[in-house]
Amino acid sequence: MTPPRKVMVIPCSGIGKSFGTVSRVAAYQVVEEDRPGQTQLVPLALLVTGDEESRRLVAENPAVAIDGCKLACASKMITQSGGQVAREFAVLDVFRRYREFKPEGIAELNAGGEQLAAALAREMDAVVDELTGEEGGSHA
Amino acid sequence: MPELPQKKVGIIACSGEELPEGTIARLAALQVLEQLRPGDTVTICLPLFLAGGEGDRAFAKFYPTIAIDGCEKRCAFRGTETYSNRPAAGIVVTEVIAQEGLEPPAGRRRLNEAGKQAAARTAERIAARVDELLGRAWSRREGKFAGEPSSDEVTTCACGSGIPVQKLQVNGHEVSLLALPLLFQNMHEQKKPVSAETGHELMEMVKIYNAVDASAAAEIEAAVLAAYARYCAGQEAKA
Repeated sequence: MTPPRKVMVIPCSGIGKSFGTVSRVAAYQVVEEDRPGQTQLVPLALLVTGDEESRRLVAENPAVAIDGCKLACASKMITQSGGQVAREFAVLDVFRRYREFKPEGIAELNAGGEQLAAALAREMDAVVDELTGEEGGSHA
Repeated sequence: MPELPQKKVGIIACSGEELPEGTIARLAALQVLEQLRPGDTVTICLPLFLAGGEGDRAFAKFYPTIAIDGCEKRCAFRGTETYSNRPAAGIVVTEVIAQEGLEPPAGRRRLNEAGKQAAARTAERIAARVDELLGRAWSRREGKFAGEPSSDEVTTCACGSGIPVQKLQVNGHEVSLLALPLLFQNMHEQKKPVSAETGHELMEMVKIYNAVDASAAAEIEAAVLAAYARYCAGQEAKA
């Protein structure tokens, strides 16, 4: 029996805007708390330097990109690393769906930013379940 | 002669999201950019060297750069060197922690006290390097300190946006000139007219930021002046 594939999560690494921090906080929520067994975080820096193991992980598993701005580094780096973007989340688009959660702060998010990250994480959880063929995840 | 854009130091932080040290690198960089040396520093995302454009890849040539890495893989330093230019300096968080005798950091999402302390110490080291670098003459054309013959002599100890580029047609060929939009903006703000004298002045500045083939200098100068005329017309139309 083939072991279930993990979903690779690749967040934005930007430190210029709150949206970059939202992407990382959401990624940590999914990878550490919501779906730890089904997901793995891949740092963009390792893809930039062509780290073989990171490239292999991205190429052989479904990859979810979380982009903090329109430059879409996470999505582009997945493609350039030989992978396919299974789902792309643009934090700005998520914010448009949850305008009541306005993020502020980069080093530390305000309450709105934390709530936006939580909302994004919930959407990602559903995508992870879809990609791994699980209903509601096996984490509960 | 118009003033050049203010000299600043570029800070490129590791994005190592999988390690607490990566978080420390980002927070230390932020402390320098926002609190310790806000007027003297700029940043760019490491992935933009691959995902961005020509102007992004020129970043470390335009600015003397400090790479702030979370671990010994030194992705920020190596990525910057490979895709832009050799950083003028590098700081590795794990080395700072060892040298300062700090407790091991924990918490990728929220750092523990040891992690916060490491971020503060790392930020102090970055700020000190910024001060050192600003005290030396950086050649934007060569992408290294003036008077230093090779990059091997650059000191390393143990991670905005890119520079605007404008493309001009010169004798049927496309020529990319780094920083040209900034130069146009600068000259226009000083109300420099479209004239042969301004063309010479612009060309001298273009040579600071770009390697210009002497045999094509006259044609490039004419193309630059024509582009400046278009820029001025565009600005007047907006006004």
